[in-house]
Amino acid sequence: MVSEYKVMSTPRKLQCQVTQLIDHGEGVYTVRLKPENRIPKFKPGQFLHLALDEYDPSGFWPESRVFSIASSPNQGDLLEITYSVVGKFTTRMEQELEIGNFVWVKLPYGDFIINNSRDIILYAGGTGMTAFTAYIKTLRTDNPHRVCLFYGARNKDLLIYRSLIEKKFKESKIYYAYYYVEENISDSIDHFYVGNLSIDSTWPKINKPYESTFYLSGPPAMIQNIIEGLKVKGISNQSIKIDAWS
Amino acid sequence: MTKASEIRQKILRLTAEYYQEKFEGKAFEPNKDLIHYAGRVFDEQELINLIDSSLDFYLTANRYAESFEADFSDYLGLDNALLVNSGSSANLVALTTLTSPKLGDQQLKPGDEVITVAAAFPTTVAPIVQNNLTPVFVDVNLGDYTAIPEKLVKAIGPRTKAIMMAHTLGVPFNLDVVMNLVEEHNLWLIEDNCDALGSRYRGKLTGTFGHLSTFSFYPAHHITMGEGGCVATDDEELARIARSIRDWGRDCYCAGGESNTCGKRFSQQFGTLPYGYDHKYVYSHIGYNLKVTDLQAAIGCAQLQKLDDFIGKRKDNFESLFEFLSRYEDQLILPMPTENSDPSWFSFVITVRDDAGFSRDELTHFLEVNRIETRNLFSGNLLRHPAFESIKHRVVDNLTNTDKIMLNSFFIGVYPGINKDQLNYMAQVFARFMDGERV
Repeated sequence: MVSEYKVMSTPRKLQCQVTQLIDHGEGVYTVRLKPENRIPKFKPGQFLHLALDEYDPSGFWPESRVFSIASSPNQGDLLEITYSVVGKFTTRMEQELEIGNFVWVKLPYGDFIINNSRDIILYAGGTGMTAFTAYIKTLRTDNPHRVCLFYGARNKDLLIYRSLIEKKFKESKIYYAYYYVEENISDSIDHFYVGNLSIDSTWPKINKPYESTFYLSGPPAMIQNIIEGLKVKGISNQSIKIDAWS
Repeated sequence: MTKASEIRQKILRLTAEYYQEKFEGKAFEPNKDLIHYAGRVFDEQELINLIDSSLDFYLTANRYAESFEADFSDYLGLDNALLVNSGSSANLVALTTLTSPKLGDQQLKPGDEVITVAAAFPTTVAPIVQNNLTPVFVDVNLGDYTAIPEKLVKAIGPRTKAIMMAHTLGVPFNLDVVMNLVEEHNLWLIEDNCDALGSRYRGKLTGTFGHLSTFSFYPAHHITMGEGGCVATDDEELARIARSIRDWGRDCYCAGGESNTCGKRFSQQFGTLPYGYDHKYVYSHIGYNLKVTDLQAAIGCAQLQKLDDFIGKRKDNFESLFEFLSRYEDQLILPMPTENSDPSWFSFVITVRDDAGFSRDELTHFLEVNRIETRNLFSGNLLRHPAFESIKHRVVDNLTNTDKIMLNSFFIGVYPGINKDQLNYMAQVFARFMDGERV
C-alpha cells in the first residue's frame, strides 16, 4: 500500500571481526567484516557507521564515520566497505585495522535507495561507487528499465569494482557502463575515456534523460559539477538523487 | 576487572539472592491467597536485568531497548518493532501513523471510517476518535468474542479506509475474511494484538498480518515490562512515521543521545524553515513522547526469553479449566477459538446463559468472595460509557451480543502464575456454586 520508495529498518549495533583487508593502492582499501550477530535487513544504497574505539553498549556510541555498504543484502553474514584515506579517522583506519581486529558498526541508515520504476543513470566518483555496488549486485536480468553507469577514478587501477560491473552488465542488453580516468591510458579500451566525469562528456550517451532518474555519489566537487550540468539541461530536482553529506 | 565492574557483579549476585529470599517458593493457601486473573511472572533474571540497567544509568532507551526490539521483531518475523510506553500508546501511535501526510492519498483524513468492535478495551477505539475518524461498530460472536464476519462485510461503506480491532483475549478474529476485505477495498489493517501475543491463525502469528500491529506489556499481559508496549510493522515507511509520532513528531530518526546519523543534519530544506535548520528539531508530525525507558526494556528482555513457556502454560491452564467447566455448558457459554486459529489465551471468558438460573453478578460475587479474581470483558459495550455515548459513529445492524456480553460475561485467569493447586481450588469453588451454594 505504501510506495516502493522506502526508508530504513530499525538500526542495530553489531560487533564485527575484520576478516579481509584489500589494499587497492593510493590509500584506497576494501574491508570485509563478519558481524557477531545477524545483520538487520538493509537496502542497496544504505550506509553504516563504523567505530574504531571500544564500545560499551551500556554507554554512548563512540566517534564513528559512515560508509556505504558495498556488500549485497543477500550476502549473508558479510559486510563490506571501501574507503579512501582522506582525514584523521580514515588515517586511523589505515593504521589500526588488521585482520582479526574487532570493530563496532551500526546500521542501516540512509534513504539513498534506487527506485526501479524509471530508467536509472548512475554517476560514481572514486569510492562513491560503493553506494551503487550493492544495487548492482542485486540487479536482476528481468529489470525492464535501462541502467547506465558513469564511473570515474584517478586511474584505471582504482576502478576497483570494474570486474563486478562488467560481469553483471553482461547479463542484460539494457545495462551500460562507461569509465572515466584522469590519467592517460596507454591502450584503447571500449567504453574508456580520459578526463573528468561531466555532463558534457556523458550526456550524448544517455538514451532518454528526461525519463530517467539520476543518482550521484562521489566527491563534493564532482557532485556539484554534475548537478549544475543537469540543471542546465533542464533536469528537475525530483529526478536528481544525491548521496550527500554535511 | 575494574573496581566498578567488581561492585557491579557483587550487586547482581546479591540481587539474585534477594529474589530467592523475597519472592521464591511460597505455597498456595486456599481461600486466603487471591487467585489473580493475571499478574507478573518472573524470576531473578528480571530483577538482575533491571538492576543492571539502573547501574548503567542511561535511563532512556538504550542497549536493552535495542536488544528487545531486535529480538521481538525476529520473533514476529517483521522488520520493525518500536517500543512505546504502553499498549494504549501503541494503538495511538499505530492509528496516528495512518493519518500522516507522508502517505499521500492513502492518508486517513477526518471523517474517514474505521471498522471496529464495541466489546473492546477503550484504547482500541479511542485513537479512532482522537484522530477525528469515525468508528463503525460491528457486533461480535458469543464464545470467541470476535467480530461477526458477515457484519464486517456489511460494514464497508464509501468512506471505509481501515479496520482496527483486537484479537479479543487471545482469540484471533477471522483473518480470512478481514484480509479479503483489506485486499478488495484497499484498506489499512491495524491488529490490536495486545492480548494475543503468540496466537496463531493458519499457523502464522497474529500481529504479522496487518500493516501495523500493537502489543502490550502491562503486567496482565503475556510478558511484561511493568508499563510498556510495542508497534510492529514490516513497512519501513510506516515504521519511520510511527517513530516520528512516538518521538515528539520530529522528522529526524536519530535515537536518543545520537546526532547526525543521516549525515544531513544541517543541509536540508524543510517547509519555510531556513535552509540547513537543525534536522533534530524539525517536526513533520503532530507527535507525542511515548518512549520507553531502558529499565522497562531490561525487564522485557528477560520476559521475552520465557515467552514460549508462558504461552504453553496459558494453554495448559485453559485446557484444565475447560475440561472441568465443560460439564456446565448448559448454563455457561465457554470460550472457543475461531476456525483455523490457535489462541495464546489471555484469559478464560465465560458468558452466563439467559436461562442458567443465576446471574453473572451472582457467580462473580461468589468467586470473588472465595478469593478468585474476576473481570468483566473490559468495557462490555463501549458505546454505553459516558465518554463514548456522544461520539460520532455508525453501528452495523445492532450490538445485541455486545450488550449481552456487558450483562452476562466475565473472565478468570489462565496466566502462568496459576498452578495446579489453584486450578483444583477454582474447580471446587465453581462446583460449590453450581451445587447451589450462595453468599
